[in-house]
Amino acid sequence: MIGQLYIEGDLRVGGVVEGEVEVTGDVEIDDMAKVKASLAGRDVSIRGQVNGAVTARKRLVVARSGTLVGDVRVARLVIQDGASFSGKVSMGAAAEAPAKKAEVEPVAAAAEPQAIAELPAPSAPAPPAEARSDGKGKSTPAAVVRPKSSPGKGTQPKGKPKRR
Amino acid sequence: METQEAVAESTPVETSGQSDSKRDGLKKFTLGPHDSLEGKLTYDGHMTVDGGHAEGEFRVGGNIEIGNGTVVKALLEGSNVTIKGEVEGKLTARDKLTLGKSAKMNGDVQVRRLQIEDGASLNGYVRMGDFEQQAGS
Repeated sequence: MIGQLYIEGDLRVGGVVEGEVEVTGDVEIDDMAKVKASLAGRDVSIRGQVNGAVTARKRLVVARSGTLVGDVRVARLVIQDGASFSGKVSMGAAAEAPAKKAEVEPVAAAAEPQAIAELPAPSAPAPPAEARSDGKGKSTPAAVVRPKSSPGKGTQPKGKPKRR
Repeated sequence: METQEAVAESTPVETSGQSDSKRDGLKKFTLGPHDSLEGKLTYDGHMTVDGGHAEGEFRVGGNIEIGNGTVVKALLEGSNVTIKGEVEGKLTARDKLTLGKSAKMNGDVQVRRLQIEDGASLNGYVRMGDFEQQAGS
């Protein structure tokens, strides 16, 4: 499966999943499963391979056969001996409190550091006409589409990849 | 390490009478409730902190154990690290890190193996894998 998945209920994954998975109930990743996706659920249990951020409103369990690479935001965390895990762990009151309200909250909280990085206060409302005449950032349509997030950031990714 | 053990068992000449040597021949010391340790420690043995005050940088050849209810603010490095209390600081376990149910770990962690029991709290970045540089051995 590739794409976004939102389920009200429980989910059990036995195959390959890529994209984004959000579940109101529990998520179970079986031994043979390979997941390249962000996971969100109440109880999340991983016995297969997962590559992506995991949010567990209640508990995340990485079993001894499980492999998890990605940042984790959980209320409770169990990692069994033999399991493999790499990533940043955030847990405790900060992850627990907003979980009661809605699942939108923890997601927003998780994205907070990124959001700050991605959305630096639009300092100068650059008029589109100027941006075009500048031609600095190769004023492709994409650059015009994105000015609301940040004019500077819009040009950076275009110029930077070719620095080497 | 294992050869040392065999020697120690067959010919307990050096170790006889020494109370601080364990089965594997490594030294061991325990920080009790009335003890305090502050600063930089390099020690080729096991270390246990059970109550007491410990702060600084502890690099240990053997295992580290942080007892229940003990608060340690330190950079820790050991083979097997078992935490049942609270730890704040970077931690390196050359073999395995175990977080008990009452453990609170705050800091980045580099380990070969990791076990976290339900109820433990961890905040920080976890890196797992074999160590290229064999520090301390």
